[in-house]
Amino acid sequence: MAALGQATEAVATGSALARGRQRAAYIPDILVEAQRVANTVIAGWHGRRKRGIGENFWQFRPYVEGESLSAIDWRRSARDDATYVRDREWEAAHTIWLWADSSPSMLFQSHLAPVSKQSRAMVILLALAEILSRSGERIASPGVMDPVAARNASQRLATAIDLQKGEMTFPDVSLIGRHSDLVLISDFLDPAEEVIAKLAPIAKRGIRGHVLEICDPIEEVFPYRGRTQFIDPENGNTLIAGRAQSIHEDYRRAYLARREGIAQSLRHLGWNFITHHTDQPASTALVALHTHLSGVPNDGFRTGTGATSP
Amino acid sequence: MSVFSILFGAPALLFGLIALPIIWWLLRLTPPRPKSEIFPPLRILARVLKKQETPSKSPWWLTALRLLIAALIVIALAQPVLNPRSTQANAAGPLVLVMDNGWSTAEDWQKRVTVANGLIDDAEAENIPVSIIFTAENAHNATPDTPGKARDRLQAAAPRPLKGTPKKALASIRTALAGQKVGTLAILSSGLAESDSDADWQGLVAINPADIYLFENTATNTIALNAAENEANGFAIRATRLHDRGNETRTIAANDSQGRPIAEGELIFETGSLSGKALLTAPFELRNDFASITVDGLANAGTRYLLDESSRRRRVGLLSAEPLDLSQPLLSPLYYLTRALEPFANLIVPQSENLADSIRELMEQRPSVLVMADIGTVPEEVSDELLEWINRGGLLLRFSGPRLAGGSRDDPFIPVELRRGERSLGGALSWSEPQPLAAFSEDGAFAGMKRPDDVTVNRQVLAEPSPDLASRTWASLADGTPLVTSRAFGEGRIILFHVTAEATWSDLPISGQFVEMLRRAVLLSRTSGGQQATGEETILPPYRLLAANGAITLPAGAAQPLKIQASTVPQASFDNPPGLYGTESGFLALNLMAANDTLSAFELPAYEGPIYRSDYAGDNSLDLAPYLLAAALALLILDTLIVLFMAGAFSLPGRKRHGLAAGAAVLLLCLAVSLQTFQPALASDAKPGDADILAALDRTHLAYVLTGDERVDRTSSLGMSGLTRFLTYRTSLEPGDPIAVNLESDNLSLYSMLYWPISADADAPSTEAIARVDTFMKNGGTVLFDTRDTLAGLNANGAVSPETARLRAILAELDIPALEPVPSDHVLTKAFYILSNFPGRYNGSPLWVEAAAETDNPDNRPARAGDGVSSIIITGNDLAGAWAIDEDNIPVFPTVPPDPVQREHAFRAGVNIMMYMLTGNYKADQVHIPALLERLGQ
Repeated sequence: MAALGQATEAVATGSALARGRQRAAYIPDILVEAQRVANTVIAGWHGRRKRGIGENFWQFRPYVEGESLSAIDWRRSARDDATYVRDREWEAAHTIWLWADSSPSMLFQSHLAPVSKQSRAMVILLALAEILSRSGERIASPGVMDPVAARNASQRLATAIDLQKGEMTFPDVSLIGRHSDLVLISDFLDPAEEVIAKLAPIAKRGIRGHVLEICDPIEEVFPYRGRTQFIDPENGNTLIAGRAQSIHEDYRRAYLARREGIAQSLRHLGWNFITHHTDQPASTALVALHTHLSGVPNDGFRTGTGATSP
Repeated sequence: MSVFSILFGAPALLFGLIALPIIWWLLRLTPPRPKSEIFPPLRILARVLKKQETPSKSPWWLTALRLLIAALIVIALAQPVLNPRSTQANAAGPLVLVMDNGWSTAEDWQKRVTVANGLIDDAEAENIPVSIIFTAENAHNATPDTPGKARDRLQAAAPRPLKGTPKKALASIRTALAGQKVGTLAILSSGLAESDSDADWQGLVAINPADIYLFENTATNTIALNAAENEANGFAIRATRLHDRGNETRTIAANDSQGRPIAEGELIFETGSLSGKALLTAPFELRNDFASITVDGLANAGTRYLLDESSRRRRVGLLSAEPLDLSQPLLSPLYYLTRALEPFANLIVPQSENLADSIRELMEQRPSVLVMADIGTVPEEVSDELLEWINRGGLLLRFSGPRLAGGSRDDPFIPVELRRGERSLGGALSWSEPQPLAAFSEDGAFAGMKRPDDVTVNRQVLAEPSPDLASRTWASLADGTPLVTSRAFGEGRIILFHVTAEATWSDLPISGQFVEMLRRAVLLSRTSGGQQATGEETILPPYRLLAANGAITLPAGAAQPLKIQASTVPQASFDNPPGLYGTESGFLALNLMAANDTLSAFELPAYEGPIYRSDYAGDNSLDLAPYLLAAALALLILDTLIVLFMAGAFSLPGRKRHGLAAGAAVLLLCLAVSLQTFQPALASDAKPGDADILAALDRTHLAYVLTGDERVDRTSSLGMSGLTRFLTYRTSLEPGDPIAVNLESDNLSLYSMLYWPISADADAPSTEAIARVDTFMKNGGTVLFDTRDTLAGLNANGAVSPETARLRAILAELDIPALEPVPSDHVLTKAFYILSNFPGRYNGSPLWVEAAAETDNPDNRPARAGDGVSSIIITGNDLAGAWAIDEDNIPVFPTVPPDPVQREHAFRAGVNIMMYMLTGNYKADQVHIPALLERLGQ
């Protein structure tokens, strides 16, 4: 009787990139809804609803002494006696940090799923990178790649991950500045308390987080029967169940309770929590992430700073 | 001997039971191996599993079960026997073992050896000498010897496919032990008594042994097959049995020469009778294949009855006044005889033309039956030989005909005296109407056959009335005149059918009863008639021998050739064990039991001392090993099921079932594909020259013979081209280009006609070439000889031209019938054009063809019956010279006299010849069209 699940090789980032681009082609451009726009000087495409450096017209305002004469819009000023200055809208880029877990537990693939969890995570990560870089966002990955704003950011991310190949534990997030978005893709199989203990400090720093839990369907269904020896791929610990089917209900309850616990805690932190099964297409997870990044689930309740007239 | 005791054949193996605790320890250590599954959420699972206790060891009852399996296997290997035998050799004197090793001991020989071994072991323990004899052997040595030697002799002995001959054996005991006190006399009897040995048993008992052990096999009934005969409605088998045990039914099978059973029947013994009968009903053809009869479930020499050719197809020699004519088979008597006899007889036909040589040739092949179809007189020189053959058992089957009717009165080979001349409808001894048959005679071979209603007889030969005519008549006509008569001659018989074997005199040969009549007549004969009855000694080497267990083996060892004197076959003996004697082509079956042998039970003569009667060990004792092993196997299967159950194999998830179904489907698919992909590799049968043959066959071609004379060959070529062109213009026959044929090398069978101009200057054809032409003509081809010498050859003084001389030389080597000039009513004159003569360059030579047989009424037929086309046509008119035209359609040679009409007639003659050749008697039949249409009512 063949085992129901197996450990696979880590997916090649090249092929993951190709598949990621394929997925990304289905998804429209994304504009990350910046809740609190980072006060950076780096030009981007996000209209910040305030005057600043940019290309689009924002407002005319009376000239104030001391301003550069070149700022005066002579055409507008010629209409009446006042002298006006033409302000442009400040357009800035947003930084999005992406991270996918590639620990051994992610390499698991069961017979119910077409790919391993790691493969799916990598595809979603790179597809997201592709979409975001297409939209002009700055892409970064904690511990892997510093923020870059380039059209080929997804490729650079893939190369960086490739070079970084090694034991990747939870990354160092201290470099992530405030007002950034953080996308975490993992299976979060640790107990809920441990996961929240890791994530809560990050959320406290004002970083907006999107957590994607990737799970293999077999972890949820638990179809094992008979005398079964279970092996943990992370540390090789084994457990033998005499009659695996007898613990089916207990296990399911514990598994779902862990997920519910994580989701609950993250909601309290103001983060998003999405669960994705590897037997579903990657696009579903991408679309879910897309909507969360665009802020649509809040249904128009945009909490960003509106345009303020001076 | 206790009521319930167990003996171990190999008690040392019981030490294996010591291993059981080790097995127990090992089994306790290794629980069933779990399935291994990688499972990332192990930490979650770990919390859940804390509650459950996983057994790391097998349950105690599983261990106990496995220990039981091991113990059962160990005990079974130690060969436990329930209720073993115990014998005791009396130490008062030597142990005397009398062992029957006749045919009936073959089946339980091993038990007998075991018993004898036990006795010898006893003797060895007591240290007393042993004397052992075997009753079916030829030489006996009863001198007491050491038990070891006796054991060697016991191992070397084997059952023989013979009846025991205890007389000599017992006599040897008495001489060897004269005056000696015998301790134990052990008789391992076959249960069968031999008729002539009672006194010897008395004498043996008279030596007063201290103990007598008598072992008899009482469990099974001994059966032997006595006789098997191929009767009209089946194979009749007789058997005999030893004891009357009421109604008893056995299945018997007939086997072919390969030992495959091909027919089955039931052998039935009635209550109160020791002999049983069986009838194997099978088609005649199948019965011919029977090689031996066996009783199912019994394997000894007595239950296999060997069959030889006496129950097989007969060899039948066919003789006819006229050879089998392939072109008109329906008129040949041999055709009807061949068709009727083929299903059940091997037919032999003489090669020689000469009647005396033919008879001699057939006699040499020793036929059972000799069929003579309308042979008037048997040549004087072979008459004695034939008479002797009949006296020795040959069957002469004669059919009448014109020749027999006109034969001499003192013909010795007719069963009844015949009136000369046949009687026919409207003949001298007039019949008002064709006669039907009367019912068959009740004493003849045809007794019981249904009278054929549809047979009428137009003509017959009549028998002179005589007192014994009625007794010799097997079938007669409705008016009482005999149709089939028969008479025994010595051991043989002569049968005469008073009609012909073909359908001219009567309808009999085309009725179904004819076959049955011939079959019954042939069945009367002995096979290989007269083979044994030569009066002098015949010696047949052993061909196949019967083993004691009923197997047919190759001859080996002491078997001697079978000597047959004055046709009496000796009984099976030590020198001539049962089997087949002769060669593969012809053999005689020597069976163990003669037809009237019976089986009688062995009885020990009265004796005062103790007689221990028992049957053979193993009759009562029970070998426990198979049962123990079976139990162990069953428990092993149970253990496997338990282990699988514990591993969860029977709670199959749904996908698993799909997997099984898919696996089965794949298996079926593979099977289907593998069956489909069988493509027999066909060897190409193309041969060089195929293209030429196909080219010659796609159209009709005119062919001419290359003579070697260049001028003549060129004339032939041009002439054939001219005729080809003429045929194409005037008729629907459009021949291909003419083909020049080299008689020495070319394949003649592709052409229907050969034009052969005779040239005196060319080399004469070789004998092989003439033989090829002869074959060509016999197979339906026609040769048109042209001597081209009308002017030179037919002068008044009878001088022969060189061409005619050459033609005569050629014809002398060919087998050709009588010739005649084309008569005015021959088909040749009407085949296409109506012609009166057939000119070529010259006009004057007649056209010679085969003379047609005279018909009865030549007056009212517009054309002669043209059955068969003349295979030879001869002219002297140089046809090719007249037909020869060059490429401009200008005739090459002038006609003599120079007359254009003659050339036209020459072409017409060519057309008629070709039409005659290709259509044969169809043209002759066409003249009947008006009459046929009238008959059809149009």
